[in-house]
Amino acid sequence: MNRRHFIGQGAAALGLLSGFSTQARANIPKAEILVIGGGYGGATAAKYLRLFSNNTAKVTLIEPNAAFISCPLSNLVVGGSRTLADITIPYSNLSKLHGINIIQDSAIKIDAHRKLVELGNGKTLSYDKLVLSPGISMLTNSIEGLAQANRQGATLQAWKAGPETVALYQQLKAMRDGGTFILSIPEAPFRCPSAPYERACQVANYFKQHKPKSTVLILDANQDVLTKAALFKKVWAEQYAGIIKYLPQYNVIAVDAKTKTVKFEIQDQIQGDVLNILPAMSAGEIAVKTGLANSNGRWVNVNFLNFESTAQKDIHVLGDSIQVANAMPKSGHMANQQAKVAAAAIVAELNDWEINPSPVLTNACYSFVNATDVIHVDSVHQYITAEKTFKPVHGSGGVSPGPSALEGIYAWGWAHNIWADSLG
Amino acid sequence: MIFLQVRRIRQTIATCLFSSLCAFATLCHSQSSQALTLYHRSLAATCANCHGTNGKGVVDGGMPLINNITSEQMLAQLKAYKSGALEGTIMPQLMRGYSEEQIEIIAQQLGKKE
Repeated sequence: MNRRHFIGQGAAALGLLSGFSTQARANIPKAEILVIGGGYGGATAAKYLRLFSNNTAKVTLIEPNAAFISCPLSNLVVGGSRTLADITIPYSNLSKLHGINIIQDSAIKIDAHRKLVELGNGKTLSYDKLVLSPGISMLTNSIEGLAQANRQGATLQAWKAGPETVALYQQLKAMRDGGTFILSIPEAPFRCPSAPYERACQVANYFKQHKPKSTVLILDANQDVLTKAALFKKVWAEQYAGIIKYLPQYNVIAVDAKTKTVKFEIQDQIQGDVLNILPAMSAGEIAVKTGLANSNGRWVNVNFLNFESTAQKDIHVLGDSIQVANAMPKSGHMANQQAKVAAAAIVAELNDWEINPSPVLTNACYSFVNATDVIHVDSVHQYITAEKTFKPVHGSGGVSPGPSALEGIYAWGWAHNIWADSLG
Repeated sequence: MIFLQVRRIRQTIATCLFSSLCAFATLCHSQSSQALTLYHRSLAATCANCHGTNGKGVVDGGMPLINNITSEQMLAQLKAYKSGALEGTIMPQLMRGYSEEQIEIIAQQLGKKE
């Protein structure tokens, strides 16, 4: 008998025998499941809670935005080769096709002891299970003068796709030829480690075509390019020589809105024309406010079998807000994968089934180096029971040999499919 | 993963057959066929980001569609990616991260059902 046959027979036998159990809570239809945040983590969790429960779970998604705007691919909007409409997807299929109750509002307070969520409109919802996928918060005050510079429009982040993404493109369009675009990168970890380097490519691509005397100056607080380093550096040398300048170990500590100058711990200050200053980041504000950020006060420690917060029972935290495992990136793809592990675990738990002891996660991250050509990095992460964490599988994963238009097609294929998988 | 599950199932069946009804019900309950189905579905869902929910990809979306091949064909392809016999961009790199047993489950879950 082969293994597959055995598994099938074993499962069938167990199916018959499980009829003897009278202990099952079978309380999925009765459980109130709230999902806060409709990004790659939250939207996917809401959908898969419905799918994995065979549409019996009662799921409510709380999301303030009217539509989903993808962070992945938003650098193409910054560089002007795509528009925001190209990366915007409605939430309506989650309710129409999957029966999810969507509330367009913000969750402003979680009472973890009474299991209540307060909404911006003053209403309060109770939950049995809460899935929290609030993304990131910008620690604006970690850089002196940044809050004021942001208010005056002298600096932008555009690290949550939306109006700021378009505003950054407009600032680049308005900039004189010969000007300097400054992109500063905080120390890792932060949302999407490859995105700053992709953004540099997109802005350089725009400059090359429209403002060839201009400079993209990358000021990186890290020791070196964090991901796909050799590939990015080759692209910068071959496609953007004289446009992109990369300075590692430049840690921005202050910004002067009036003179558009950035200051560092060690080096002399630098003046620019368009300033894209990324401060350090933390878990989304509501996670921090709820007392869940028990890793350095910035990120949320979770049990990796079900993504339940180690600080509060029945709150499952996904995506960029969590303290990641070794080599686990804060990416949209990863948030989608985590959401499925969490959704399966919640369904199992509510059915009184054992949680899957061996979940798997993958990551695939495509970066556009111009409007059409792409490089990737990917990885597979298996749960290691003895260490209670995910680890990348030795010998798996990797990067592209070089940029290609074929991977550009796959990158759009990835986008259309993950949008459908999360929202359709 | 499946080694573990198989071992558990074997243990569970053995216990079910040879112990009291009480222990039997509790143990069997902990690894029901529904739970196993859920694990298999969630394992196959790791492919959905690129190839669509339940393997139904976006038509003309740019990513190769996988819902037009049988489980046997899919298994052969995935194994060939894993061994290096079949070239690709990310698929050979990803398949090296899955066990043979996981690949079998994925192919069973996502292959075209006749």
